[in-house]
Amino acid sequence: MNRSITLRAAFAASAFLSTAVLAQDNVTAITNAKIITVSSAGIIEKGTILIKGGKITSVGANVTAPAGATVIDAAGRVVTPGLIDAHSHTAVEGGVNECTNIVTAEVRVADALDPHDMNLYRQLAGGVTSANVLHGSCNSIGGQNATIKLRWGVPSGDELLFKGAPPGIKFALGENPKRTNFGGGVRRYPATRMGVEVTIRNAFLEAKAYKKEWDDYDAAVRTAAGSGGPIHSGRSAGAPGGGSMPRPQAPRKDLQMEALKEILEGKRLVHAHSYRADEILMLIDVANEMGFKIATFQHVLEGYKVASEIAKHGAGGSTFSDWWAYKMEAYDAIPYNAAIMASHGVVVSLNSDSDELARRLYWEAAKTVRYGGVTEEEAFKMVTINPAKQLRIDKWVGSIEVGKDADLAIFKSHPFAPDTRVEMTLVDGKVLFDRSKDVAARTGVAATLGGGQ
Amino acid sequence: MKINRTVAMALSAVLALGFVSDTSAADVPLVITGARVVTISGPVMENASIIIQNGKITSVGTGLTAPAGAKIIDGTGKTVYPGLFDGLTTLGLVEIGQGALGTVDTAELGDVNPHAKTWVAIQPDSELISVARAFGITTALSAPGGGLIAGQSAVIRTMGDTPLAMTVKAPVAMHMRYPTGAPVLDFSQGIPNIEPKTFEQRLQERKKNQEKELLKLHGLLEEARAFGDGMASGVSLKVDLPNEALAAAASGKLKVVMRANSEADIKGAIKFSNDNKLKMIIAGGAEAWRCTEELKKSDIPVLIGVDQLPSREGDPYDAAYANAATLNKAGVRFAIVTDDASNSRNLPFEAAMAFAFGLPREAALRAITLSPAEIFGVAGMLGSIETGKAATLIMTNGDILDHRTSITNVIIDGRETSLDNKHQRLYEKYKARP
Repeated sequence: MNRSITLRAAFAASAFLSTAVLAQDNVTAITNAKIITVSSAGIIEKGTILIKGGKITSVGANVTAPAGATVIDAAGRVVTPGLIDAHSHTAVEGGVNECTNIVTAEVRVADALDPHDMNLYRQLAGGVTSANVLHGSCNSIGGQNATIKLRWGVPSGDELLFKGAPPGIKFALGENPKRTNFGGGVRRYPATRMGVEVTIRNAFLEAKAYKKEWDDYDAAVRTAAGSGGPIHSGRSAGAPGGGSMPRPQAPRKDLQMEALKEILEGKRLVHAHSYRADEILMLIDVANEMGFKIATFQHVLEGYKVASEIAKHGAGGSTFSDWWAYKMEAYDAIPYNAAIMASHGVVVSLNSDSDELARRLYWEAAKTVRYGGVTEEEAFKMVTINPAKQLRIDKWVGSIEVGKDADLAIFKSHPFAPDTRVEMTLVDGKVLFDRSKDVAARTGVAATLGGGQ
Repeated sequence: MKINRTVAMALSAVLALGFVSDTSAADVPLVITGARVVTISGPVMENASIIIQNGKITSVGTGLTAPAGAKIIDGTGKTVYPGLFDGLTTLGLVEIGQGALGTVDTAELGDVNPHAKTWVAIQPDSELISVARAFGITTALSAPGGGLIAGQSAVIRTMGDTPLAMTVKAPVAMHMRYPTGAPVLDFSQGIPNIEPKTFEQRLQERKKNQEKELLKLHGLLEEARAFGDGMASGVSLKVDLPNEALAAAASGKLKVVMRANSEADIKGAIKFSNDNKLKMIIAGGAEAWRCTEELKKSDIPVLIGVDQLPSREGDPYDAAYANAATLNKAGVRFAIVTDDASNSRNLPFEAAMAFAFGLPREAALRAITLSPAEIFGVAGMLGSIETGKAATLIMTNGDILDHRTSITNVIIDGRETSLDNKHQRLYEKYKARP
């Protein structure tokens, strides 16, 4: 299908967006709103949020909009932090799996981002403002993630990237790297959970050797610099120049090993796709042995069986609310998973792994009230501040606090209520979704949708 | 081998009318007292009682007297709804969708399987069934998939020790897929080689395939009608299970559930239905909101899912969410379905999304209770809380459309069913593990 034509048509239909983008210098005030801050300020029954330069500059019950501010009257509405999806494959052009090798730590999701993906807009319409865009689960050690903001329509994929977010990487355990469910023809190592363990240990043993080469080299460079003598640019120690220090030879750069070295140095977050309790424990053991930390277990459907172990390691758990039985390793998945992990001290988020489910994360959170009696306050954290913590972006997003990014969702009613829907979504203080304008722009048969609701 | 004439007649009679399995009645009368009763068929009753005897609702209202020896269920602060009816599932036919083919009995091989019947392959002890029941799904259409003609579905109750005991009505419908012309790819041996072609080439190929498949489907129905006529006239016929099975659907005696999603396919299916004088129900119906006039005119009901992405890139973001409201406003009959098994318990949440996007509350509740019962011809016994209907009810601590609500009681045919399920058991086992 001619994608560019449909894209252009879609853009034309949503031309209102350009006019809705508010100038960065002006103050925007969201007034008369019930504000769920997801901070120590709790819920403000009726208050105002001031936004300037894409940041929240003021929030409270007694805040007044300055003269000249662009006012968004949110009377009767509920303002929350923009939702954060800790497991997404959105806006990736083409496939998300570089499947051909058992370790693909060198490939980068950020190289394949499509800022015009219509699903970004559709997720904005569900209040989502940030996402952890992950490589697929084909490999025990997969590619590098991209933490993005849903700035739909920016000219380049680079402009989607969440500035300051630490880099991450996808690991995958169990059936997917085993390729259990992917046709009977082509086999590829590993074919067992034993092989998955070997693959990861082996890669990290290599990475440690690689790191040592570079550490030795860096030390030699420092020593040479410290000695004060001239350093030769020659390639061998026997180069002419009599008496001066030979320049240490740099090891060969290896992009795959670089990514693993960053993990060992604590600079790259490991997001480990996992299902069964045994494989979760396995990875914790390997991580402890190799000296790295797992930032999040993703899916982690049997996390409830080893919640203490996950908490002790300090890993977060990012799970589905209730999906189960779609494959063997999901057969023991229970909707109480989030509640049990949370009660054992794990920082829990609820993710989508789906452009469709991402649009109703607020209701995914609500399910934890039913399943396990999580308080509404804690439940809502699972789609806001908790995923922000897991992605180490909580100093910018995940709650409504002065100084944080103005990434906000405005709901029709409480985000858990059955009649709720997102009316407006802001990213960096800009209105990127406005339902009233979206509906008003509909023509033809699209205008009949909902029976003129 | 020739089929005996009487057997053939009996078979066609069964196919035409369906059979209703006998339900052994519960002997202890139940009375739910002081509850908010959402009857669906009438107004909501506050502080009302429901009297249940021999598996049936014998009265609903206020100021009722409990029969002697009745067990009282205190409904104070609770809400009673008819049991939820998921009008399109594979419940009982699948345990684990991927990687455990031994547990999957949803789709027979080949393109034409009108003689495949789901109610002979239902696993009563499926964990998926007890999970669905514990969260309010009391009734489901257990339907086959795959090929052009997939087979026949049954309405089942999510309770019972044998497939027969679970069966409310069978057959309910013949399940077909409207030909899309899309190539069927075989992934069983890994990713198949796909020949590079232009968009135009693929489109033409698809059109040609679609015409061919449609012709095939027309032909199959014509042949089945002739076979049916033969059976009725009493001539000796060779054993032909597919034609025997298809005859009732081809002659409009048995409903046809036709899977169609795009506007063109839905409109094509409506024409196909009219041309063949079928009693059709559309399943899928992603773009039904674009076909309201045609659906209304031919009075064809639609089984739709709600939690879906729009089917076209330029469609409104909420096309699937507001599909139901559009149909409702236009007077098209519809039910909301999950088209799933393990996620069947999310049925009320799909209705909630339709409610949030314009479908009136009453219509949203109806779409998961009385509407599917009507569409499948079991509204005489199911779908609403009325005297004389089966006592198939759920009680909750709040609004069933609200994700925070819990289901406290599930009563099927007057019997209190266990809410025990795999998930609850694992929860109890691990919640306090240090």
